[in-house]
Amino acid sequence: MEEELLGIKNNAVSLILDTNDPKELEEIKLQFLGRSGQLTQTIKQLPKIDPERRKEIGILANDVKETIENALKQQELRIKNQESGERMQKIDVSNPGIKPPLGHLHLITEAISEITNIFERIGFGRVRYPEVDWDWYAFGALNFPEGHPARDDWETFFIDQEPHSKYGPMLLTPHTSNGQIREMENNKPPIKMLNLNKCYRRQSDVSHVPMFHQFEGLAIDENLSIVNLKGVLDYFVKSYFGEKRSARIRPYHFEFTEPSFEIDVSCGVCGGLGCKLCKEGWLEMGGAGMVHPNVLKNTGIDPNKYNGFAFGWGVERVLMMKEGIEIDDLRLLYSNKLEFLEQF
Amino acid sequence: MNIKIVDSWLREFLDTKASVKEIARELSLTSVSVERTEVINGDHVYDIEVTTNRPDLMSVIGIAKEAGAVLPSQGTPAKFIEHKLPNIPSADISFPIQIENNPRLVNRIMAVVMEVEIGKSPKKITDRLEASGIRSLNNVIDVTNYVMREVGHPCHVFDYDLLTSKKMIIRESKKGEVLTTLDGKEYRLYGGDIVADDGSGQIIDLLGVMGTQNSVVQDNTKRILFFLDNNNPRNIRQTSMSLGIRTDAAIINEKGIDPELMEQAFKRGVELYREIAKGKVVSKILDIYPNKRKVHVIKVSNGKINNLIGVKIEPLKSAEILERLGFKAKNINDSLEVTVPTIRSSEVLIDEDVIEEIARVYGYHKLPSVVPSFLNNKKTPYINNFYFENRVKNALKYWGFTETYTYSLISEDLFDGPIENAVKLKNPLTEDMTYLRNSIVPSLLKVADENKNREVIKIFELSNTYHHRIKELPKETLTLSGLIKKHNASFFEVKGLIEELFSDLGIKNTKFKNRTEGPGAEVLIGTEKVGYVEILNSSIVDFEINFQKVLENANLKKIYKPLAKFPSIIEDITFVLPDGTNTQDVVEEIKLQSFLIAEVSLKDQFKNARTFHIIYQAEDKNLTNKEVAEIREQIIKSITEKFKALVK
Repeated sequence: MEEELLGIKNNAVSLILDTNDPKELEEIKLQFLGRSGQLTQTIKQLPKIDPERRKEIGILANDVKETIENALKQQELRIKNQESGERMQKIDVSNPGIKPPLGHLHLITEAISEITNIFERIGFGRVRYPEVDWDWYAFGALNFPEGHPARDDWETFFIDQEPHSKYGPMLLTPHTSNGQIREMENNKPPIKMLNLNKCYRRQSDVSHVPMFHQFEGLAIDENLSIVNLKGVLDYFVKSYFGEKRSARIRPYHFEFTEPSFEIDVSCGVCGGLGCKLCKEGWLEMGGAGMVHPNVLKNTGIDPNKYNGFAFGWGVERVLMMKEGIEIDDLRLLYSNKLEFLEQF
Repeated sequence: MNIKIVDSWLREFLDTKASVKEIARELSLTSVSVERTEVINGDHVYDIEVTTNRPDLMSVIGIAKEAGAVLPSQGTPAKFIEHKLPNIPSADISFPIQIENNPRLVNRIMAVVMEVEIGKSPKKITDRLEASGIRSLNNVIDVTNYVMREVGHPCHVFDYDLLTSKKMIIRESKKGEVLTTLDGKEYRLYGGDIVADDGSGQIIDLLGVMGTQNSVVQDNTKRILFFLDNNNPRNIRQTSMSLGIRTDAAIINEKGIDPELMEQAFKRGVELYREIAKGKVVSKILDIYPNKRKVHVIKVSNGKINNLIGVKIEPLKSAEILERLGFKAKNINDSLEVTVPTIRSSEVLIDEDVIEEIARVYGYHKLPSVVPSFLNNKKTPYINNFYFENRVKNALKYWGFTETYTYSLISEDLFDGPIENAVKLKNPLTEDMTYLRNSIVPSLLKVADENKNREVIKIFELSNTYHHRIKELPKETLTLSGLIKKHNASFFEVKGLIEELFSDLGIKNTKFKNRTEGPGAEVLIGTEKVGYVEILNSSIVDFEINFQKVLENANLKKIYKPLAKFPSIIEDITFVLPDGTNTQDVVEEIKLQSFLIAEVSLKDQFKNARTFHIIYQAEDKNLTNKEVAEIREQIIKSITEKFKALVK
């Protein structure tokens, strides 16, 4: 009996492993496990066995049954997988995919996110101050003298409204630097601010749009120096434009910083060798400088104790410089032709 | 302001072996930006952007002095060459014109009468002027331009014989006065311009900006009045901008010129007239100079210099740099005592101005770069308004919307409501950008209109809208607007969008109510109105949300509810409801019937029949059929009674 059971097991397993046909597998199942199958018939003989060995043989019979059942299951699964695999190989993978909906964020939004993240890593927290502000915040407190060209009707948009008795005319901010005054008025040093907002200037041509975006950094503490401004500048340039680009600072003039700088970034197109797009290998990025003591005074911060640096750069500008895409007419950014927006 | 400087001209005043490229580079890094160099008439020309605080560099001599100071600091030998000008032999005839000056308008006048012979200038002069971007006219006019470019002080010349009244009154113009400039254009003045009046009320010069036709040098001019005026820069700016006359003289004069420079320009002019126009001085020299410019002293500590620059600079090195730039510098007790020359005295006023001079010539590129390590004083949580703005923008992007940036300045017809409420510009650039918008939807509709070829458009914008307030800055409200355009655009698509958007921001109690203004709905959070959905027509549905209010409610609060231990029972009940019944009202009424009702939603709708999907769930036990049946009876009773409905 023992031998008989083992024979059935071996026979069944080898038959199972040999077939790839599900029908044949079903037949094998019947042949061994069916009501009149070989194993079933053999088990029926159990009561006739010597009672002393019956238990032992019983366990073996069960074991044989389990083995056959498992083998059947596994073979069945294997055949199924094989079949679906064959089916999958027959699909035309070049047919179009079923796409989830995907829109487009504006280039400016993407740039703003990148800029914000970079500055947040070195502790500059983003804020947002008014786009419509008083002359005092946009010019006066920033040390612009009366009659400065930026304060006249040709460069800055003014609001048709009564001037404030203390703060002067109402205007559309021509830069984000009003954020410096508002931040210093409301916070005590140390300060590390990133103000990012829409700005407006009275000009419109291929390289100027009347509405644009700037980001303004401000750091105020004891003992800050040009070395620190260079640190932040280099960090931004490497993070935003990539390791291969470098920055330099040149003397410049702004009313609200002293010393003042103009920042250049090496040209990404020619790699600094000089080409049509750049000036001798450099592209102008924007201005920066050490905060003028009068500006600190105007916001109630003691210039003998604190100093700091500030910078204000155009989002559109750094975007163009980064991508190396020379959008021939900047006004296209705000024209909202879907054909343009969907490229990004 | 840009200026073109001719290389051979520069080298008359600058002794250096440095190449054009080297000079350009070093000037850019330490002084003023040389934007490009080019070759004109066989000479190299530097195109230089001079910052407004440095009008002293608007000349060949100015740049030569500066280069002579900065090049050696970078290791390139260079030296400024000073040309000593001879004194002018004054004629023994008294100055024949009576000049009545207004010191508030003009701070210095130098003038002399000369006999000249009009003709062509020598080639060297015409070439240099042309390369500098100045048109050569005749020797008499050319001298004024040549001197202006070389020395940096603008000059003027009259035909002396046209000044018949022999009188010149310097005064402010009155509004409406008319004059014809030497190029034949007529201007009506806005008032406040500096003019010369011949005593009869007739204007014979628009000082510092442009001469007038009635006194200009002619082809047959025999005698000239060589005339230099140092004007109030503010008046000049106003005149030049309001009349749109942007001459080189005006551009320099509006920055403010050192009156001390005038003498040199005057001498050089007379010298040139003698050289190239057979000029002969025939009058005494007039010099009216009411307020002499003074030098001043700034004392700055070496500690402050080092702190601001960020590296230690030897006091002797600082003094050396300043001396080369024309300052006088003495080291006294760990401080520098710096005497500022008149040519810089209007813009070098405080310690920081002096430190800038030292730092730039020392070389910014030599400074190390260190990110300051301090943190700011404010608590800036990661989850702030900007975070939610980005989250919403991204959600919309991945739901197929394209973001637009339209101008916040709009025309009258894009304003929502009576135009008197608008924030209006005083000096708009164009008519279609005159008002600040109070709604973004009209801009989006314009975008849809401009992209007519698209059958399907899904766009959004998150921007400020501006709302007029009396005697205050306008209220700037962050606003989210969107638009779907397609065949049979569905209100429910937009409603669903807003519901999911809000739900993603942790806002659970979003409601929609009929809108009185037209087809569409008001959007509410709780009981507060936060925006609207507008069904514009069968193909456009738009929305606008006060995003500020959304931000007030947004949160990322996570609430954990233990997973259900017992199975729920689910069933559908269909009611036939009268027209005008709100689904939301029915859903809420059903929910009220038992705390064992976990969820109710509208599953299906056909004509007036609405099928509600109801989930019953107890937290602590298996619900029995009997318990559910009781609740169901209650639901049916309440809905049929309250809404006059029939159960199907």
